[in-house]
Amino acid sequence: MRKSIISLMISFLLFFPLFGQAPAKPVQGSVSISGAWALYPMVLKWVEEFKKIHPGVKIDVQAGGAGKGMSDVLAGMADLGMVSRDVNPDEVKKGAFPIAVTKDAVVATVSARNPFLSEILKKGVSRARFIDLWVSGKDTSWGAILGSREAAAVHVFTRSDACGAAETWAAFLGKKQEDLAGVGVYGDPGLAEAVRRDPLAIGYNNINFAYDAKTLKPVGGIAIVPIDLDGSGAVEENERVYATRDDITAAIAKNVYPSPPARDLYLVAKGKPANAAALELVRWILTDGQKFVPETGYIGLSPEKLKEGLARLK
Amino acid sequence: MRRLKDLIARRAMLVLAAVPGLLVFLMLFGLLSRSKAILALKSFTGLLFGSAWHPLKGEFGFLPFLAGTLWVTLVAMVIAVPVSLLTAVYLSEYAPRVIREFTKPVVDLLAGIPSVVYGVWGVLMVVPFVGNVLAPLFGVYSSGYSVLSGGIVLAIMVFPTIIHVALEVFSAVPHELRETSLSLGATTWETVKHVVLRKGLQGIIAAVVLGVSRAFGETMAVLMVVGNVARLPKSVFDPAYPLPALIANNYGEMMSVPRYDSALMFAALVLLLVVLVFNLGARLILVRIERKVE
Amino acid sequence: MRTSRRRRLEERVFKVLMLASTVIVTASLLVIVATVVVKSLPALRLSMLVQTPKGGYYLGKEGGILNAITGSLYLASGATLLAVLLSLPVVLYINLYARKKSVLATFTRFSLDVLWGIPSIVFGAFGFIVMMTLGLRASLLAGIITVGLLEIPIMARAMDEVIRLVPASLTEASSSLGATKLETALKVVVRQALPGILTAVLIAFGRGIGDAASVLFTAGFTDSLPRSLFQPAATLPLAIFFQLGTPFPEVQERAYASAAVLTLIILAISLGSRALIKRFTRHSIK
Repeated sequence: MRKSIISLMISFLLFFPLFGQAPAKPVQGSVSISGAWALYPMVLKWVEEFKKIHPGVKIDVQAGGAGKGMSDVLAGMADLGMVSRDVNPDEVKKGAFPIAVTKDAVVATVSARNPFLSEILKKGVSRARFIDLWVSGKDTSWGAILGSREAAAVHVFTRSDACGAAETWAAFLGKKQEDLAGVGVYGDPGLAEAVRRDPLAIGYNNINFAYDAKTLKPVGGIAIVPIDLDGSGAVEENERVYATRDDITAAIAKNVYPSPPARDLYLVAKGKPANAAALELVRWILTDGQKFVPETGYIGLSPEKLKEGLARLK
Repeated sequence: MRRLKDLIARRAMLVLAAVPGLLVFLMLFGLLSRSKAILALKSFTGLLFGSAWHPLKGEFGFLPFLAGTLWVTLVAMVIAVPVSLLTAVYLSEYAPRVIREFTKPVVDLLAGIPSVVYGVWGVLMVVPFVGNVLAPLFGVYSSGYSVLSGGIVLAIMVFPTIIHVALEVFSAVPHELRETSLSLGATTWETVKHVVLRKGLQGIIAAVVLGVSRAFGETMAVLMVVGNVARLPKSVFDPAYPLPALIANNYGEMMSVPRYDSALMFAALVLLLVVLVFNLGARLILVRIERKVE
Repeated sequence: MRTSRRRRLEERVFKVLMLASTVIVTASLLVIVATVVVKSLPALRLSMLVQTPKGGYYLGKEGGILNAITGSLYLASGATLLAVLLSLPVVLYINLYARKKSVLATFTRFSLDVLWGIPSIVFGAFGFIVMMTLGLRASLLAGIITVGLLEIPIMARAMDEVIRLVPASLTEASSSLGATKLETALKVVVRQALPGILTAVLIAFGRGIGDAASVLFTAGFTDSLPRSLFQPAATLPLAIFFQLGTPFPEVQERAYASAAVLTLIILAISLGSRALIKRFTRHSIK
């Protein structure tokens, strides 16, 4: 008699492992996720935590780029796509169902050995000047960018592979990735490396690539270009948000750093996720999962956006 | 029973022998049918010779990519052909046995290195070399990501192909011919010039043709070092955007943007056609030379 | 005599050029291999070879590339097998069965030349079309088919080279003893050319395992070991790419280590093939 009571109590306790939380019915099944590198670290963290609650779910996460994520989902080759850019109307027509899950951003970068670095950090660069660099494609000089006499040319770099970072930076400049000028380098680290090597270079990177994950300071050899938001020609106190990763994520959360180049990151399904495990995963991400966002270097979404997402999932 | 097996085998092999040809045809057909969408938009020549590439605006001009492919392949061959042939001649005619036994495996090993590794190495060493050493030497600016970098990396990848075939060609030249030449007072070099190279001309051309094919067909390694800018390069220090790189960089976008996937399939089709035409041309030249020799 | 001096000068100049060229070629190999090895040293650990990536591997945490190593080996083996089944009969046919100038033989050889020159990305694109037509997802099978097709021209050309060299006297002797063409083909020609055939297979294997463009759209990628033909499979070239694409220097070092592993596999096969050839040459008639 006592044994069965004890075993009953044990199974009762096992069934409610998370003391104080609403018991989640363990979900079974498998989910395949594919897409942008920008979301990869966050999704991995979420998957790790999710599997603690639902050990019966098999989740496969592959990173191959935002475009691939979208293609895979629309082709039925993945349950969820990690997409680091806004979804095109054509994609929506094909059945894309995006849910915003977190935020991150793209920042402009120069080499730490840039001869005009102190001036850059003091004056910042305005959106109009960024457009001169990346859209008009003319040979610009550092003097033209900083409003001084320097004749040294600016070496502009961009991404060669179709990616969310480039689309977002282009969106900030009012264009699309294909409109961006500059030498195309493959991959985020490739672009960072190209900028690091060339003192006169300018490029852009996802904040997770621009800031060191451990020290939270800009990665060695790279400096972040402040955006002169009000065009005043100087970086004011409220515009000086680039010292550490925490500074910039706070600025993004407060909307001090504009969106774009900050952006929502999405998980996309084809129509409402039919896979029960996938649906539960997304629901969890929009609720309990959000608490893991700041420690992974991303920015949490506003409660309204989260509620909106949950409502759409019903 | 044995005869039956022979007959079955013969029929089976006959069918299988049609496979390569069938494969080429299937590829042509498959790519063509997938390119229909974009061919409906613009004519074949319009696409090939258009110079603007803005897919989201519906502009699909492939000229910059064709030019990019041509430039990079040309530079690669300019470097690879002399170096490979000279090496092959040295190994075949001059080198002491020890050096030859050591170098031949090295050349074959070079052929085995995967293209990703070449690309990675190219970014590490070739790009800075071109950008920081060569370009300033010529008084130009280059980021290093350029036609020249692509050409250098490709050339090294092509060395083993040309050397291998050239060595075979040279070894096929009968010794008596060399001995006769030498006994007439010619130096080794003159023997090479007038006997070995002349006798092996056909084979050498075949080797070069093969090298071009190999250079042309390489995707990944070039992609990482060439700069990927969709503009006609004006010098070897400019970046370029070869066709294979276009496809590899953008395949992920294939389903999202209308006609983009069709355009990329068209790019693949163009590559296939270029290879076909090139091989046809090479075959014709070789046949003509063969006739002259006879 | 002036002419003599000019001749000798010319020879000397060319000798220098030739030596320089040879040095360039050899040095390239050594530099490339050395660079990869040196950059990979910090990350070369046994765990790299025997573990699959654990959660967070691409963020710098534990794990290894066993998924890619096994995936690549399965894929390349499957592809090479497919290629052998399609290449050897074709090469035997055009050398032994067809008449010298037969249309089929010329056409087949030409097609093989064309296929040899087609960029691997086009094979990838074609593989993608095949996948969509057959309704296959990105999977090991799709990768095997695509890489197999890629390997056919490489293998066929190398096989053709050696089978052509089999002296006609051998085949004639065999037929005069009453053997059917099939028996001649299998028992005499293949045995004679076996070292070359094996080399051809191994060369094709090396190209297949190292190619990224063909598996880019077709094989997918996964962090687990290959479970079934219809699931995505990881491959070393793509693993290298993905690890290079992360912001963490530790993971980038792992990319070099993966490159070193891939290169070592191919080199080991290349050297192993030489040893095999030496062994099999015992049975060949010189």
